[in-house]
Amino acid sequence: MTTTPPRTGRRFRGRRGRLSPASAAATAALTSVSLLAACSGPPKEKAGGVTDVKLSASTPEARGEIDSFTWAVYAEPPTLDYTVAFDYPQNTVLSNVCESLMRWTPGLTTEPGLAQKASNPDPTTWVYDLRPGVRFHDGKEMTADDVVFSLGRQRDPDNAAAWAQVFQNVTSITKSGPLQVTVKLNKPDSQFPQYMATAAGVVASKAAVEAAGKDYGTTGGLGCSGPFKLGTWNKGQSIELERFDNYWGTKAKSKKAVFRVLTDPSARTNAMLSGEADGGYLIPTESYARLRGSGTGTLYFGEGLSTVNVNVTNMQGPLGDIRVRRALSLALDRSGFVKAGLGGAGTVTNSLTTRAAWSAAPERTLKTAFDSLPPTGQDIEKAKALVKEAGATGKTLTVATSSIGQDVSLLATAVQAAGTRIGLDIQLKTIAPNAFTALFTDPQAREGIDMFPLTYYDSITDPLDLLQNFKTGAYMNFAGYSDPEYDKLVDRASAVYPLEERMDVEAKLQHQASDQLLWIPVAEWPTALFMNKRITGAPTTISYMYYPWAADVGAAQ
Amino acid sequence: MSFVRFAVRRVAEMAATLLTASFVVFGAMYLAPGNPASFLLAGRSASPEALASINAQYHLDDPFLVRYFRWLGDVLQGDFGRSITYRTDVSRLLADRLPTTLLLIVMSLAVVVAVGLLLGRIAAVRGGATDSAILVTTTFAVGTPSFVAAVLLQGLFAVNLGWFPSSGAGDGGLGDMLWHLTLPAVALALYLIGMLARVTRSAMLEALDSDHVTVARSRGVPERQVIRRHVFRNSLGTVLTTGGLIVSTLLVCTILVETAFSIGGIGQLLELSTTTKDFPTVQAISLIIVALFMIVNLIVDLLLPLVDPRVTLGTRSAAV
Repeated sequence: MTTTPPRTGRRFRGRRGRLSPASAAATAALTSVSLLAACSGPPKEKAGGVTDVKLSASTPEARGEIDSFTWAVYAEPPTLDYTVAFDYPQNTVLSNVCESLMRWTPGLTTEPGLAQKASNPDPTTWVYDLRPGVRFHDGKEMTADDVVFSLGRQRDPDNAAAWAQVFQNVTSITKSGPLQVTVKLNKPDSQFPQYMATAAGVVASKAAVEAAGKDYGTTGGLGCSGPFKLGTWNKGQSIELERFDNYWGTKAKSKKAVFRVLTDPSARTNAMLSGEADGGYLIPTESYARLRGSGTGTLYFGEGLSTVNVNVTNMQGPLGDIRVRRALSLALDRSGFVKAGLGGAGTVTNSLTTRAAWSAAPERTLKTAFDSLPPTGQDIEKAKALVKEAGATGKTLTVATSSIGQDVSLLATAVQAAGTRIGLDIQLKTIAPNAFTALFTDPQAREGIDMFPLTYYDSITDPLDLLQNFKTGAYMNFAGYSDPEYDKLVDRASAVYPLEERMDVEAKLQHQASDQLLWIPVAEWPTALFMNKRITGAPTTISYMYYPWAADVGAAQ
Repeated sequence: MSFVRFAVRRVAEMAATLLTASFVVFGAMYLAPGNPASFLLAGRSASPEALASINAQYHLDDPFLVRYFRWLGDVLQGDFGRSITYRTDVSRLLADRLPTTLLLIVMSLAVVVAVGLLLGRIAAVRGGATDSAILVTTTFAVGTPSFVAAVLLQGLFAVNLGWFPSSGAGDGGLGDMLWHLTLPAVALALYLIGMLARVTRSAMLEALDSDHVTVARSRGVPERQVIRRHVFRNSLGTVLTTGGLIVSTLLVCTILVETAFSIGGIGQLLELSTTTKDFPTVQAISLIIVALFMIVNLIVDLLLPLVDPRVTLGTRSAAV
C-alpha cells in the first residue's frame, strides 16, 4: 500500500483561529473515519456460473476483413521483450508479433514455423533449415545470423531470460549455412525441440534489437516477423498492433488489433458487454453466466492444458505422512469446487496432468497413466480412519489463500471444509496478492504454510512439462520431494525423442506423482473465450499463447 | 513571522520529510517477502550465473544501507534508476502515467470544491427541509466507499446508459481523456463532497451565530452581503484546513479507483510495483505522493492568512 502522508511538526505561533467545539468535533470525527471509509476494498461478487459446458475445438471461420478489433487483457505486459515473455498478457499480445522456429497450432500440435524443417541427425544435434524470403518488420530479410543472435539472448545470463532453462543442455548454437542453424546439446533433450514453438524459439532482427539497445521491448518496434507489427503503445492503457503487409504467410484479416488493459474483472466484463472490447481470453469465472445470457456474443470453452491443484509445500509436518494427504484428497468436495470456484466450467480430476497433454499417446499408455489413480469421489469415513491411523487427528495445518481469484480463495475454503470434517484443524492464512506471488519465488514466504492452491498450465503439449516439477531440486518442488527412482525416470523421459516411447516413461511418472499426491489434483480448467457478434475466428485453446491467433480474427457476417 | 523565515523553515521541513519517507519506504520494501530477481525471471528457475548477474546489475546483494545511499546519490543527481519489472527508466515510466493521475485528481478536486462548498452553503443558509435533504444525501455520500461508487457509476452510466466509457483513460486527446475520466473523478469525489459539504455547513452555521453577523444584520447590511462577506468568508478558513486531508484522501483512493476503471495511472503502477518489489519505481511514486501532499499543505498555509486575517503565516486554526 501507500505510505501514509507524514505530518510535519508544527509549532503554533501567534494567535490561533477559533473553532467551536461542535465543528471541531465534526471535523475530527470526519478526519478519523475519512481514510478508512473512503476507500475500502472491492465488494465480493456472487458467483455466476454455468452448467452445460462443452469444449469447442474451434470457432466459426471469419467471413471477411475488418478494420480493427479490440481485445481485453487483464494486465499490461511490463515489456514485450520475447526473452521475458512468460505470462498470459505478454504472450497473448506477442504471439501475433513475434514468431518462433516452430509453431504451436490451435490443435496443440507442433508444426514448422520460421524453420521449414527441424532435423535430428544424432541425439545431441538439432538442425533448423530456415524459411527463405521471410521479412522482419524493419524490412530486413531473415538469415541464420538473426537466429543465432535471438537464441543467444535467451542464453545470456546478463539478460535474465525467463526461458533460460530451456537452453540448459545447449552447448552451442551456430550458423551452419546462410539459412541453416545447428544446435548442439550436451545430452539428448526431448523438451528443447518442443520449446522452440514457444517464445523461447522467437527470432527477431539482430539489427532491430541492437538498435533499440536497453529499451528493446518497451519503446519502438520489436523487429519480428509476425502477421502484425507493434503500433502505438499507450502505456498503462492499450497496445495497438498493425497488420504487416509483407508477411510471408497468410495475411491477417484485421487491419488492426487493439489490446485494452482492463485490470478489474468487472470492468473487463462490462467492456465486453458494452462493446468497448470485442472479446477476450481468461474470462472472470463469476461473469460466465452474465456474458452468456447477455446476447452480445458467444462464450466458448477450449482445451487449456491447465490443472488446479493443492500444492503441498511442507512435508515436515502432518502432510509428510501420505495417509494424511490421501485423507485430504478423499475428503475434498471437488465437484462443489468446480461449481463455485470455476463457474461450473471444469472437470474434476485425479490426475495432475490434463488428458489433452497426452493427446499423442497410444491407448495402452493412457491406461497406465490414468487407470487406478486415487479416486475423485468423497469418502469421509475412510478419510477419517486414515487420519486416525496416521495419528494426525486434531493436528493443525495451514493453507494459504488470497483474493487473486476464485480458483484460489474457494479452493482454500474447500480444503478447510474437507479437513474439518475428518478431524484436522485447518487454518486459513490470508495473504496479500503480492505475497501470494512470492510463495512461488521465496522460501521465506512459504514458512508456516503447509499447502496453497495452484493453477498450472503447460507451455508445450507434453505432460513432462508438469511432471518434471517433482524431480529433486526442481524449482517448483516446494515440498522438497526426492526419490532417486523418480529422478531417473525424468532423466529418461528427457532423453527419449520418439513420442510413444517417451510417453510410456511419462505414464510411470504420472502414476507415481499422482499416487504420492505430491500436489493434490482437483480439476481440469478449460480456457474461456468471449467474442461478440461482430467478430469470429480466434482459437479456443491455450495455443493463443504462442500462435498468431489474432490474424484469424475477422468479420462474423 | 517573516516570509523568508517561513520559506526556509518549510523547505527544510519538506526535505527532511522526503528523506525520512524515502528511508522508511525503502526499509519496508527491503523487509517485505519476495526477491525482485525471482519476479524478473517470471517464477522460473534460473541458473546461478543468471541470478548472480541480476543481483549484480541491480545491486540486490549489497547491504541495506549501501543500497539506500546508492539510490539516494543517484536521485540527487536526478537519476531515479531503472524499473526492475518494466526494464525501462523510471522517469520515462512515470512520464507516461503521471499526467493521467494528475488530471484525475485535479478533476476530482474541482468537483469536490465546487459541489461540496455549494451544498454546504445552501444547507446552512436555507435550513429546514433543504438542509435535511442535503444532510441525508451527504450521509449517503460519506457512507459510500469510492470503490462501490465506481461500480455503481460504471453499471448505470457506462453499461446501461452508455453515456460514458466504462474504463480506460482515452487515447491521448484532452477531450477524450476528460470524457473517460469523468466517471472515475466523480467516484473519487463522492465521499469527499459529502465530507466537505458537512464541514462547510457546520462552519457557516457557527459563523451565522457569531456576534458580528448579528451586528451586521442590525445595521441593515443586505442578507446576501452578510452571507458572502461575513459568514462564508469566515468559514473558509475551516474549510481550507481540510484541504490537506482532502488531497491525501484523493491520493490514496486513486489507487482503487484507477484499478476499478483500469485507468493505468501511477496509482495502479504503484500497486503493481509493490507486488513485484520494484524498488526504484515504488520509491519514486511514494516520493511524488508525499511531495504532492506537502505542497498542498504549503498552499493551504499560504492561503489561510489571506482568507482569514486572524491567522498569521505559518500557523493554523486547530482544525486538522
